[in-house]
Amino acid sequence: MLELRDLRVQIGGHEIIHIDELDLEPGTRLGLVGESGSGKTMTAKAIAGLLPDEAKVSGSVRFEGRELVAMGDSEFSEIRGKQIGFVFQDPARSLNPMMRIGRQVSEAIRLHARLNRRACTTKVIELLEQVQLPDPESLLRRYPHQLSGGQQQRVMIAAAIAADPELLIADEPTTALDVTVQEEILRLLISLSEQRKMSVLFVSHDLGVIRFVCDRVAVIYGGSVIEAGRIEDVVANPMHRYTAALLAANPGMPRDDNFSAFIGQRLQTIEGTVPAVGNFPSGCRFRNRCEHAIDACTATPKPAIVENDHRHSCWNPVVEG
Amino acid sequence: MSLVDVSGMFFHYPRARLGAGSEGWTLHDISLTIRPQSTLGIVGESGSGKSTLIRVMCGLLRHQRGTVRFDGDDILQLSREGLNELHRRNQIVFQNPRRSLDPRMTIARSLSEPVRALHDRTPDDTELIASLERVGLGQEVLPRFPHQLSGGQLQRVGIARSLSVNPTILYADEPVSALDVSVQAQVLNLLMDLRDELGLTLVMVSHDLGVVSRMCEDIVVMRDGRIVESGVTSAVLAQPESSYTGALLRAARAASLERAQEA
Repeated sequence: MLELRDLRVQIGGHEIIHIDELDLEPGTRLGLVGESGSGKTMTAKAIAGLLPDEAKVSGSVRFEGRELVAMGDSEFSEIRGKQIGFVFQDPARSLNPMMRIGRQVSEAIRLHARLNRRACTTKVIELLEQVQLPDPESLLRRYPHQLSGGQQQRVMIAAAIAADPELLIADEPTTALDVTVQEEILRLLISLSEQRKMSVLFVSHDLGVIRFVCDRVAVIYGGSVIEAGRIEDVVANPMHRYTAALLAANPGMPRDDNFSAFIGQRLQTIEGTVPAVGNFPSGCRFRNRCEHAIDACTATPKPAIVENDHRHSCWNPVVEG
Repeated sequence: MSLVDVSGMFFHYPRARLGAGSEGWTLHDISLTIRPQSTLGIVGESGSGKSTLIRVMCGLLRHQRGTVRFDGDDILQLSREGLNELHRRNQIVFQNPRRSLDPRMTIARSLSEPVRALHDRTPDDTELIASLERVGLGQEVLPRFPHQLSGGQLQRVGIARSLSVNPTILYADEPVSALDVSVQAQVLNLLMDLRDELGLTLVMVSHDLGVVSRMCEDIVVMRDGRIVESGVTSAVLAQPESSYTGALLRAARAASLERAQEA
């Protein structure tokens, strides 16, 4: 349903995104994982046509058979919100603090459907029930500050699914929430996606969270997808050295509840930091932080290799076993 | 003997409306001890009072009931010099280094502030360079401003700054939550190394049970301003007595990479 081919985004003469291939199947959930500055949010924005005017976008983004790159604003706004919904990281900043909850959600409905007031209110209550908010009728008249962070995020999700989108883009939707609330919101997203056969593009820095939610994952570094596949394959058998290093650096939880053996164990680190745009090395963009870099990594990025539905572009990949 | 001894302590912020029961108190009947050179993790959701608690123990906020003893002394009874000494020996590393360092000060200036404030003298370059080396940074950062450094580098500066006055306890308030995964590991390892090297007592405030179970011998679980459970980390997490600790643990495991191995 969503196909990216040779998508490039340039800002100020720097190519910040170059994704040769990325697909999202109907009704599935794809995680886009990367550190800050990796380009994961930019990619999501490029798909949604939400990049600033100075960004030059080329290549192809096909959504349900329609080409989104270079689509006109009025045509795009028909798709955005209606067929593609969004949920962002900080619900307190995405909701209008001056607007009652009922109106925030009904606005999203009225933009895409002609409904009278009563029908609209019924629909809002229905949506608030679907995101499992208690006592929706009394919620209608509340303001965002009267809700907890988790409740606010549920309101955001209600607004995002108001027009029955086929695709939901969720950008770090639980990063600002407590861990127990995070789990509830993630479970809600999974069940909505399953009930509605809605695809989800889930953007996060946290592979553990992506594993909880998604079927597939694409690992992004320096604006390119360096590895992609079924989440369990990628986590169990990472091929690209960056993915392997990222997994090893995760503080994680002890295996088999062996807490006493866990204490004091040092973490594996990745040297240095993600370079700023324009400061990436030639060839593989990770090579100057990579312990396993070889001469081949210097020249050109490796064309992707696909084996068993698992693709990567590493010149010196992890050998299984 | 314990280094910090908190007993029956209550705290509320100014002008909070105190109700009949526990209403209005930000911290409610807190008792805990910290042994010298131990590591303590304080976990709980946002608003549970974790950060307020460490600020009371450092003498930055004054509690209204109960006692807090540091090295045997009641911290409310300290003289001005005694309070200065308490502040010197209890240092905090904050969550967001971009917000805790003055954007208009060079790193050199920021680094020398604690020594200037507490010892009334300006440290020389040799001292500054030594404190940077301890956290894995070079002297080239001295003339730079915070915006010219990465988040990981800034957090190292924050740690160097806290260590510049030779504290007894280092409180780290969510020290890696604002950092990238690849940089988190560097900073956590650094904290473990410094603790061993300098014989520090380390108190970590964190929402991440993985980080706490890796780094802290003892744990305190907080909710709504109260301690719901405390003890040796491995024992508490292996068999939590409080249902809240159990819920935290389940949520942490659900979103961890280790989940499937259990199934």
